[in-house]
Amino acid sequence: MSTTDNAPTHRAKPLGNAAKAARGDGRAGTRDAGRKPTTTIIVTAILAIVAVYFLVPVYWVVVNATKSTEDLFGTSGFWFGETFQLWENIKAVFSANGGIFPRWALNSLLYSGVGSVLATYFAVAAGYALAKYRFRGRGLVYGLVLGGVLVPGTAVALPLFFLFSSIGITNTYWAVLIPSLVSPFGLFLASIYAGAAVPDDMLEAGRLDGVGEIGLFHRLSLPQLVPAIVTILLFQFVAIWNNYMLPLVMLADEELYPITLGLDNWRAQTDRLPEFYQLTTGGALLSVIPLAILILVLQRFWRGGLTEGSVKG
Amino acid sequence: MKGKSAPWLLLAPFLVLFIGTMIVPIIMAIGYSFTRVERLGLLGEAGVNSAFAGLDNYVAALTNVNFLQSIGRMILFGVVQVTVMIVAATILALLLESASAKWPGFFRATYFLPYGIPGVIATILWSFLYIPGLSPIVDVLEVVGIDIDFLGPNMVLWSIANIVTWTYTGYNMLIIIAQLKSIPGELYEAAKIDGASSFRVATSIQLPLIRPALMLTIIFSIIGTLQLFAEPRLLQTMSAGITSEYTPNMSAYAFAFQYNDIGMAAAQSVIIAVAAFLLSAVALGISNWMEKRR
Amino acid sequence: MIPRLSRRSALIGGGAALTAGLAACAPPNPGEVNAEPTIPAVDGKVRLSYWAWLKDLQKVCDVFNESQDRIQVDATWIPGGNSGGYAKILSAVAAGGGPDIAQVELRQIPEFALAGALVNLSRYGFDEEEPAFDPGAISQAKVGENIWGVPQDTGPMASFYNREVLEDELGLSFPATWDEFRETAGIVSEAGKQLISLDPSDGSHPIGWVMQSGAVWFRPEGDGWIVDMTDDASMRVADFWDGIFADGLVGTGYGSYTTPWYAAAADGNVLASISGSWSDALNETVPGGSGKWAVAPMPTWPDGYASGGHGGSAAAILANSAHPAEALEFLTWMCTDPAGIDAMIEHSGIGWSPAADYIGEIRQQPSEFFSGQNYNEEVIVPMAEGQNLDWTWAPLMQRAQAIIGDGMTAAVTGDVPLADMFASAQEEIVEIMRTIGLNAEEAR
Repeated sequence: MSTTDNAPTHRAKPLGNAAKAARGDGRAGTRDAGRKPTTTIIVTAILAIVAVYFLVPVYWVVVNATKSTEDLFGTSGFWFGETFQLWENIKAVFSANGGIFPRWALNSLLYSGVGSVLATYFAVAAGYALAKYRFRGRGLVYGLVLGGVLVPGTAVALPLFFLFSSIGITNTYWAVLIPSLVSPFGLFLASIYAGAAVPDDMLEAGRLDGVGEIGLFHRLSLPQLVPAIVTILLFQFVAIWNNYMLPLVMLADEELYPITLGLDNWRAQTDRLPEFYQLTTGGALLSVIPLAILILVLQRFWRGGLTEGSVKG
Repeated sequence: MKGKSAPWLLLAPFLVLFIGTMIVPIIMAIGYSFTRVERLGLLGEAGVNSAFAGLDNYVAALTNVNFLQSIGRMILFGVVQVTVMIVAATILALLLESASAKWPGFFRATYFLPYGIPGVIATILWSFLYIPGLSPIVDVLEVVGIDIDFLGPNMVLWSIANIVTWTYTGYNMLIIIAQLKSIPGELYEAAKIDGASSFRVATSIQLPLIRPALMLTIIFSIIGTLQLFAEPRLLQTMSAGITSEYTPNMSAYAFAFQYNDIGMAAAQSVIIAVAAFLLSAVALGISNWMEKRR
Repeated sequence: MIPRLSRRSALIGGGAALTAGLAACAPPNPGEVNAEPTIPAVDGKVRLSYWAWLKDLQKVCDVFNESQDRIQVDATWIPGGNSGGYAKILSAVAAGGGPDIAQVELRQIPEFALAGALVNLSRYGFDEEEPAFDPGAISQAKVGENIWGVPQDTGPMASFYNREVLEDELGLSFPATWDEFRETAGIVSEAGKQLISLDPSDGSHPIGWVMQSGAVWFRPEGDGWIVDMTDDASMRVADFWDGIFADGLVGTGYGSYTTPWYAAAADGNVLASISGSWSDALNETVPGGSGKWAVAPMPTWPDGYASGGHGGSAAAILANSAHPAEALEFLTWMCTDPAGIDAMIEHSGIGWSPAADYIGEIRQQPSEFFSGQNYNEEVIVPMAEGQNLDWTWAPLMQRAQAIIGDGMTAAVTGDVPLADMFASAQEEIVEIMRTIGLNAEEAR
């Protein structure tokens, strides 16, 4: 992943030796049927306690987004306050600074949506080319891109800023969007997947039917690559959505901010202006909800994606 | 194969962007890192020239106490935080896969949920749980007689570690679960016939088989910590313990935008990139070697 | 399965990158705004943006906005300079954006100018306005002949002390000289209390002390800088405080106006703070302190100045501003017109007034908290008039102050005395100045 932090290289690489992949959703065989009920209770209890840890911040934001600033400080953070003003708070979030929050949300959607779709398309096309063609320079390209995977995105953010400022596109949408279009990690996933999932026979048959090379990719190969495409798309979407350093370095104008930078801006003002606590809390709630839903709904794709490297279609 | 131009056509958009956003900036950074500026006039108002600096910036970066400390801090952070996170992820994965738990789907989703919350927002949420007066956790701990300052100079590193752990444990857990699912069922059958306890199944079958994946996860996570930026930068306004040069990335950022020393910033960026690159390459090499040995 | 790291492809890739890397290019130059022609004032209406961390600054701007209908100023709050505000301003300017005006601490002005982020106000005829400003304020916004920011407030140092405990209980008076300070601090510490408590990592105190003593650490000379941290004026300060620390005569656990300081001050265990004039507002929040505290001049040396500078800000016009002339018009009003000064005191709680001959309406009355003393006119005015006007800030104060802070921390623990630290800091600072491309040398 090039210039997006929190890229897969960041934490736990989803490569791995995965000799064999998750096959279907079945749990590991039917072993262990008929456990002792006490074991079940103990294990479930442990898992429940851990679940509390993971849910506390989310719970806190849900509860405290309903409070007035006074209650935020005056009442226990673990329970609702005396007033319930969720709607007022959300209205305030949408109208603060002349309605800047919806703009941030749209910006985030633009960066992540456009960025991830195009990045995926480019990565899949390039990965497919590397997997299915033998040509001079292939090794060089592979080596370069591999280097790109291993160089962390944040280390490139500053140099990228120098470059962009010398050609005068800092503080524009392009400054964040262009670097988001590159996913070396996606290329790898795509090339490995294409190597396994796109049979040479199929391509040869296509060629005999007179389909052009580019047509082969679009019409015959792309449908075979759907699982890899979904995975790359999701990874890239989340990576761009989470990005902080790149927009921080590139953008000066609040109107161009993605939601992360915008909320950070509000949060920074809480020092002096306590009413910003309410805006930040409300804004955080609003930005957590859609992602939470996305994560939960698409969970199966994530799991599929994690070992995608070795799966045959 | 036919069509010599076809692969290049397919590669073109990616390559152009890749060169433009990775290769060129890195070359520029390398260029800057060998450069120093000369300013004419008291503040450079009479002109600014650049000159070749040789390795001066690298020497300066590698003898800069704050920069070295930031690297040391990240290594300490990486070793502790990554260990905790991977152990937790492994235990959770084993428990969820043990079929002893009720509602595994619910738990799995719950643990994975934080991965979808951007680091910035996770940090904002947790910071509210750290600030005395706002945080119910601090209140509760005070009632039971524990007086803790999550944002204190010694504590704040681990408060950051907590945020990172919270965000990524579930993600790593899913990776491990996928590994566990790939273990052939026959192995379990055999163990069952031998009358092995589930603890024994975990230690003699499951852990050895997922070990290579664990290794990679650990190493890449440690490398990832070299990049830490958003979390400490956000907490900086709340904690006296976080300086402008707290992590290597923050240091490079500070030299670029606060200290007017682009050459030093570039040298630090290059050092971070090279360190991450080498660590990753070594890690990949080790894991390949281990694979072959098995 | 990820493809194995093929040794060959890795080598080719790495080699290509390295070879290309040798084609080094020059780093970006700071804005050339001060070499371009000045931008004349426009006829029509103008909207200016202003970033600052002063509270309620918009209310101050509104006073101006309502006073005329040509220029409209919009204030935006940003985090304090060292909490991320400076990086925000500088990266915005570097990216080609940013506001017209930004708050910059006085000591930070040269660093901003060096980054090419500021408009040289002397090119806009600002020198003519100089007489309207307090000399102690404007001198801190100057480097050589040029003025780079409009001073907004300053912090002449004075002593804020618990009169009731020091005078009534212990029968002492607040020390007028540093010799007396040492004596008094000793008696107070024998009584189980502390005269003052310092945060040793805060480098702003030693800088204020040497400024008062008459040092000029950073002297512009021709095209370069002379760094002189080991002159007699500096060394007597170093020796004095080394002695104080060695004998443990002042507290070193926490700084003034921190939570533990307030607790100790309320209990009468810490008796004073020697700090900028802005300390008055902070001091007034000492629980139960009303009527018990008082203000005294900073202790002095037999020669030297009455006081040093401690904090204070300027409003600087940033390089990308399209309307520097209008911005300067607004800032001149805000920082010299009595209406502007009073608005800044009332809404934003600024430090000492930057204007010549006007300290602010509400600062001309006796204070109930400070024992009915009319301390602003009686004490602070002479402190503000007795500043070291030769002092110039260097373009690396963020790092210089950190070096001094680290050094004082080491001095307090007894590792390296301040006397040695000043010498090594001088060397280090010259080194840094050279690294950032300046012509600098140590004083002989």
